[in-house]
Amino acid sequence: MFPTFKDGNIVLTERITSRSGRVGSGDVVLIRSPDNPRKVVAKRVKGIEGDEVSYVLDPKNSDEQKTVVVPKGHVWIEGDNIQNSYDSRQLGPVPYALVQSRIFFVVWPPKDFRLIGNEVS
Amino acid sequence: MATPNFLWSLAKKYFTAGLIGLTISDRYASFMAVRGSSMSPTLNPYNENSTAFVLDDYVLVEKLCLQRYKFSRGDVVVFRSSSPPGLDVASLLKELSSPSNYKEKNVKRIAAMPGDWIHLPSLDTVRVPEGHCWVVGDNAACSMDSRSFGPIPLGLICGRVTHVVWPPQRIGGVNSKISMLPEVQVLVSEEHSH
Repeated sequence: MFPTFKDGNIVLTERITSRSGRVGSGDVVLIRSPDNPRKVVAKRVKGIEGDEVSYVLDPKNSDEQKTVVVPKGHVWIEGDNIQNSYDSRQLGPVPYALVQSRIFFVVWPPKDFRLIGNEVS
Repeated sequence: MATPNFLWSLAKKYFTAGLIGLTISDRYASFMAVRGSSMSPTLNPYNENSTAFVLDDYVLVEKLCLQRYKFSRGDVVVFRSSSPPGLDVASLLKELSSPSNYKEKNVKRIAAMPGDWIHLPSLDTVRVPEGHCWVVGDNAACSMDSRSFGPIPLGLICGRVTHVVWPPQRIGGVNSKISMLPEVQVLVSEEHSH
């Protein structure tokens, strides 16, 4: 999730948005990995159910894009560091119920103290 | 005659009890009603001869298993649902009858863990991916389970059913044995057999 988060950042999360089903496109969330239930990762939601998401299949070799419609009850997550992120481009759409909470604030270190918005900074 | 002091202390007591109850229900164990007969005869057994009013089973769901997400084949688990990706012809039917709400919880039995192979009559052999499990209802004829929506991520599980607590004549443990369905055959992989 570079450059949004760097090693050592401490963030503030809230569960109200995820519990009430209001997680939308652009939110940064903590989500339990479908591959390993003991691992919780931070990713940005790029699409919710019904959205069309386009992504580049093979960034190094070609510009070919693939478009996917996110099925009901799922979300499409991507890391902000596109080159080095294991996310929905490999895993596919992830069930919404795996979303644990939404990250909305960075609290440490003090120079990084800021709100997390909907756009990649 | 309720005075403000009395009301305030009563409110504090209820609030404390509520917090403690919520913590226990979240982290240790809670009770849940089982709807439907997809887990007959283990839960909500269907009795054709009975004309009396049939009650739903209430079960004890333990949440200690969520600390390490350590499950075994044969565990009856409660999990949040995800809709099926709708890949084939029957996807319309699935949309109508399958869980589509992330808030809905289902109760089924784990038939296979990551790495196991599932034989289905209609499809070829399916390998259960890492971090997922294959769930099957005990009443195979009328159960929406992994045969319809595929393997589910273990992260969706929110508890394990250990006991039936209501109605009183059915109080007892829920066993961990899988009755092998003829159409679902499981090839157990070495990594996870214990």
